[in-house]
Amino acid sequence: MSQKLTCVGKRITQKDVLLKATGEARYVPDVRLPGMLWGKVLHSPYPHAKIKKIDKSKAEKLPGVAAVITVEDAPKILWARSFRDMPMAPSGALQRADEYILADKARYVGDPVAAIAAVDEKTAEEALELIEVDYEQLPFVLDPFEAIKPGAPLVHDYAKNNMAVHLTPPPFLVKGDVEKGFAESDVVVEEKFFVSKQVACQMETQSCVASVDSSGKITCYSPCQLAHPFRRELGKMFNVPVGKINVINPFVGGSFGCRLSCHNEPICVLLSMKTHKPVKLVYSKEEDFISIDTRTPHYYTVKMGFKKDGTLNAMNLDVTTWAGGYLSRAQLAGGITLIWGLGHYRCPNMNGSCDVIYTNTTVAGAGRGFGNPAIMWGVEEVVDMAAEKLGMNPVELRLKNTKQTGEMANMGLPIESSYIDDCIREGARAIGWDEKRGKNKGGNGTLKRGVGMATMTHCSGAWPLLIEHSNAFIKFNEDGTADLTVNPGSPGTHIWGTLSQIAAEGLGIPVEDIYIVTGETDKTMFDLGSHASRSTYVTGNAVLEAARLAKKQLLERAGKILSESPDDLDVRDRQIYVKSNPEKKTSVANVCSQAIYNLKGDSMNISGKSSWCSHYNSIPTAAYFAEVEVDTETGEVKILNFVTAVDCGKAINPMTVEGQCEGGVQQGVGYGLTEDYVINKNTGAVESNNFTSYKMPGTMDMPETTKTIIIDKPDPKGPFGAKGVGEPGLVGVAPAIGNAIHDAVGVWMKDLPATPEKILKALMEKSPQQD
Amino acid sequence: MKKEIINLTVNGTLHEISVEPQVTLNEVLREQLDLTGTKLSCGAGECGACTVLIDGKPELSCCTLAMTANGKDILTIEGLARDGELHPLQKAFVECGAIQCGFCTPGMLLTSKALLDENPDPTREEVKSYLSGNLCRCTGYVKIVDAVLAAATEMNKGGK
Repeated sequence: MSQKLTCVGKRITQKDVLLKATGEARYVPDVRLPGMLWGKVLHSPYPHAKIKKIDKSKAEKLPGVAAVITVEDAPKILWARSFRDMPMAPSGALQRADEYILADKARYVGDPVAAIAAVDEKTAEEALELIEVDYEQLPFVLDPFEAIKPGAPLVHDYAKNNMAVHLTPPPFLVKGDVEKGFAESDVVVEEKFFVSKQVACQMETQSCVASVDSSGKITCYSPCQLAHPFRRELGKMFNVPVGKINVINPFVGGSFGCRLSCHNEPICVLLSMKTHKPVKLVYSKEEDFISIDTRTPHYYTVKMGFKKDGTLNAMNLDVTTWAGGYLSRAQLAGGITLIWGLGHYRCPNMNGSCDVIYTNTTVAGAGRGFGNPAIMWGVEEVVDMAAEKLGMNPVELRLKNTKQTGEMANMGLPIESSYIDDCIREGARAIGWDEKRGKNKGGNGTLKRGVGMATMTHCSGAWPLLIEHSNAFIKFNEDGTADLTVNPGSPGTHIWGTLSQIAAEGLGIPVEDIYIVTGETDKTMFDLGSHASRSTYVTGNAVLEAARLAKKQLLERAGKILSESPDDLDVRDRQIYVKSNPEKKTSVANVCSQAIYNLKGDSMNISGKSSWCSHYNSIPTAAYFAEVEVDTETGEVKILNFVTAVDCGKAINPMTVEGQCEGGVQQGVGYGLTEDYVINKNTGAVESNNFTSYKMPGTMDMPETTKTIIIDKPDPKGPFGAKGVGEPGLVGVAPAIGNAIHDAVGVWMKDLPATPEKILKALMEKSPQQD
Repeated sequence: MKKEIINLTVNGTLHEISVEPQVTLNEVLREQLDLTGTKLSCGAGECGACTVLIDGKPELSCCTLAMTANGKDILTIEGLARDGELHPLQKAFVECGAIQCGFCTPGMLLTSKALLDENPDPTREEVKSYLSGNLCRCTGYVKIVDAVLAAATEMNKGGK
């Protein structure tokens, strides 16, 4: 990388963004195929019920109805919405196939029990009303602690006491002697926390268009961001060779974790199989709220012991993860809280545990940050509590315990690069920490101001917990442009742009000459898909390697034309030139054209292909700073300023990095303050099933100023030094706000979201005489 | 239910459409006219993704019965660019990084157009306030507000 970068590091807009500004971008709900039918799903109104009988005769007789399906019509095979048999490290947290395409027994309010395909949406809706389901309501359990009591209703027969899995930390995070460590600590803080079931709130509702033709070929338009693993699961589910399945991701209207699973796609495919016609199935927002994966809620206890000088000496985490009626990724999102929480700071004595428990609630799976935002809420509050007891500045306490390059990272591998201390220092400077911390409590009347901070370390992919495999193929066209074939999915993260910049830099041609081929499993080689902030890092490295190979071919071919050694050539501004004599050159287009249209008998399409498996994991780090104003009369929190300082290695595109961080702030503000998933205790129904009752932040709820500081120091392993950044934007936002609330008004908020009611209650408990 | 004929001028073109009384403008645009740039998200008037301009005013097409738009002039995202030339708001959204997944974008753009038509030189606070009914899950709104202000500057400079 001695050469000056010409494309990486630039604020370049991804090409297809234009189509989103003109309305031309087509998402799954916009797909229309000839002869297409509309699908609708009947969801269980009960949290737990035996389905004794389903009478579909009336619905079937309604003119325009093409098919009515129930579990009887579905393959008699259990599947996993989070996809089976992913090659996992032996951590005990395996995916489990625990559901049928349509429910054999209703396990939560919203569980799909039947589905319809009809000529239009209105007919399908009418037909839904005509399906008669004879339910036998069963006792149900919503709370995980109730669920493990003897005699509690069983969600799945196989899981005794509803315990899906009991997990311990991986061996590299079980260290020393925790009890002795606490005994030898000068300050020990132990607190209980709760984090709620945040909803993805992706703007495009869950949708699918499926078409099964007479040859049995399945075409499935889906927003699922793990297209290749999803294809494999579909193959197993329907006993169809994967070569007969094409999963197409058109434009995708947001994910934030929920698209790691598939949801109504198998239902849609089954409807198409039954009707021999294409079927479109688009969930309403209410269906999204009640029946697609939410973030996992957790109850947990954080215990941390510090020496007088602030050195972290012992740490323990006990987590209870509240799964829904099916497991999805709750076992992974639960177990990985231990990795994030225990793996963040240097500590000689540590241990933990995590129980994952079935309940009769909406399924909980992946959410952006995958357990990291959940656990860091408590860990970072406990660090601030300890700082108070130690009489230390929270900035200094963190700097004392952060892990550095070369130490063992959260996933058990050496830290390739960490600039977390730079994040902390620069973020503190930007928020005005020294001037503001603890100094503005008087405020005016009922308005109190405070500043708070939090930190985190995350990952660039999930190696060594999960296979990290991506492929990239680059071919030069005859005019010197290049097609880049990759399939990481793109729920809106501009990954295609990022990968194009990596390809352009690697090839030495302008980024406008790169054309992305993506979005179909038929056209692309394997890619695990978008998750765990991996695509820039893993797919990016695949692209860089493919570019290196393609460029090698290009220069070999040019060497023949110029009668020079390929080693003496390089590419710049669409020209291939002799390094020692730049005037001697030929154009990339000329070389590519001569290679393709060639009568000498040595034709070739200049190309490069790479299969990339990550065997390291460079951790992005970040520090977050919030300045808030709390109204002690109403409990309302206004966020004045927010600063995210992020160490994501070299930023391939700073505008994209800022976008991820700014969006993360919105989700963190919601997670911390407003987004509350409310389940009616008497009926099991989701009460927060729309944007009026579930408060996702709008423009007026956002900080007055939001600043992103990119540390921009290259990592040794990432492509051009880049690390992942998709998820980190969110991770530490809520705890920074929580700690700022404490700085303002002196109360610790332990349950998320910290609504005005909870803040007022905490203020009352702190100073009851004021009421 | 009984269908009636209504006239809608959509992006400058007059359409004679037969609709049932319960059909929304969103359904007509998306299903009958194939103008799928207008999105449907919450379906309940809470998120702004389906916003179109009716006689220049931002309206939620998911909550507007098609019949009530009879005889009116409707602008959807497909009509914002003119003669192949992007509207300054579209350019600014693209250049400022205001678009991520893009699903809220058509509604954001049309609401922003209504704002700049009413108030060509808004403050940051005025932009935030005007866009408060349009939800976005990707961007944190920062670059969206930046883009609206940039477009306003550009339009004022160009005297458009």
